[in-house]
Amino acid sequence: MYRKFLRLTKSLTVSFEKLVNFLTTQEHNPLYFHGALPLYCFWLLIFSGILLWMYYIPTLDRAWSSVNYISALPTPGHPIDMAGGIPYGAVVRGIHRWGAAAMMIVTLLHMLRVYFTDRHRSWRWLPWITGVALLAFVLFVGLSGYLLVWDARAYFIVVASQHLLEALPGVGGFLSAFLVGGAGITDYSLTRFLFFHVGGATFIFFLVWMHFIRLKEPVVTPSRASNFLLMGFILLAAGTLPAINITHELLARYGTDPRIAAQAAYIASDAPAQIGHLVETIRYDAWYMFPYWLIQNLGVLWTWIILGGATVLLCVAPFYPKDRRANIAEVIEAKCTGCTFCSLDCPFEAITMVERAPGSKFKQIAVVQAARCSECGICVGACPFQAIELPELHSKTLEADLMALVKKGA
Amino acid sequence: MSEPKRTVIGFVCERSLPVERMLDAHKAMLDDPETKFVIVPCSGMVKPTLMEAALANGADATFVCGCAIGDCHYRTGNLMIRERLEGKRNPKLRKNTDRRKVGMFFVTMKDKEAFLEALAEFKAGLEPKPVPED
Repeated sequence: MYRKFLRLTKSLTVSFEKLVNFLTTQEHNPLYFHGALPLYCFWLLIFSGILLWMYYIPTLDRAWSSVNYISALPTPGHPIDMAGGIPYGAVVRGIHRWGAAAMMIVTLLHMLRVYFTDRHRSWRWLPWITGVALLAFVLFVGLSGYLLVWDARAYFIVVASQHLLEALPGVGGFLSAFLVGGAGITDYSLTRFLFFHVGGATFIFFLVWMHFIRLKEPVVTPSRASNFLLMGFILLAAGTLPAINITHELLARYGTDPRIAAQAAYIASDAPAQIGHLVETIRYDAWYMFPYWLIQNLGVLWTWIILGGATVLLCVAPFYPKDRRANIAEVIEAKCTGCTFCSLDCPFEAITMVERAPGSKFKQIAVVQAARCSECGICVGACPFQAIELPELHSKTLEADLMALVKKGA
Repeated sequence: MSEPKRTVIGFVCERSLPVERMLDAHKAMLDDPETKFVIVPCSGMVKPTLMEAALANGADATFVCGCAIGDCHYRTGNLMIRERLEGKRNPKLRKNTDRRKVGMFFVTMKDKEAFLEALAEFKAGLEPKPVPED
């Protein structure tokens, strides 16, 4: 039943991709580079983030105004003495903001593509599980980014997060204090949020390494056309609706301007946060703030149940259904010369080269790690010595099949 | 007089074309009985020596059919066989093999029509088979 579902999703995915191939050609279809797209977005976020970091001041009274300063709206009394803000600062902020949305979209696309084509199971469990961790960290880093602006919405998120953490029995109080760095929100809280954002992003590099460790030559570069397409979308969005801070005064003065109204509705940050003054509701960003929508609409308990349940489901997905696994590649010891071709070509790093005993005819021997083997036979194709075989499809069988076909035709 | 029949051997990845719906009981293609399939789990499993053996033992042409480039179920199988046949990865196709007789197609399971077109084009590029004297 579940297998049938996976076969159906695979078939639908291929049909959809055929449609996209019609538009982009097979060579430049972004769906064939789905894993490289999040990494590409990540680089964009790293570089735009470094530019924003140059001007950011993580204190309660200056965080909002330093971000506001970047957006090219001059703020009186700002410590960095440059008149007129940063040229195109709002656009760089826009790239960071829209790039983050693109990051979540392409990450989910990557995840769904892998799941729908049944490429998440069995020997691929490590890339999938680290992928779940990566998804969680993308969410965490994205949310911590919203805190740095320190507007009314950021304050709301901090308070809601503390409620969520305090609901945990035993450790709740500690985690809640850990989040803000003490009993209440102080300047140190902002420093901590900055660490969560930048440190979390750095940790993503470690997770990406884990994500790739069992993949031979992971695809890390999208096709040039996909690059330009994605970059074009992000730049277009950032140029049309750059990210700015919108105060009540600004809204009162320019609220009738359709562009300011669109910014206020979709991407702008709010007025500065005031500790103790909690807004009743916030504008939810569709890609990052759904946990807060859950908290406000369903309550803390259901939020934990939904988030926890989703995580558990994602983590057990690669282990069900189980395959037969009877066709794992076997090395024929007498024939293996230790030439390393199979180990170099194995797409899942399942073959390692091991030293033979001293005095042996050959120096090394290939060893298959059964749990990592995908039973694909690429190692059989790589071996010039017929020294590695799939038990259920021996290359002698293939040869016999071939000879039978050639003879019948003659 | 009808043209003498050719034998074309295809090494076909079971995940690329819908192979079970394309063959008769003798592994010949329903749409083109001259073409016969050896089915493999992944096109990367095919050795160039296997294709050389097909040509040496009476096949008039041979080809590999794998998943679309970028969509190999095992990630790199189609890239591997492509590089081997192009002479960029060991073990390579021998240099004295007639390149016109060795084809590669990379298609998804919904691309049967495109595959048939490419196969017809590949076969049209082969030299005409000499008519037996007697």
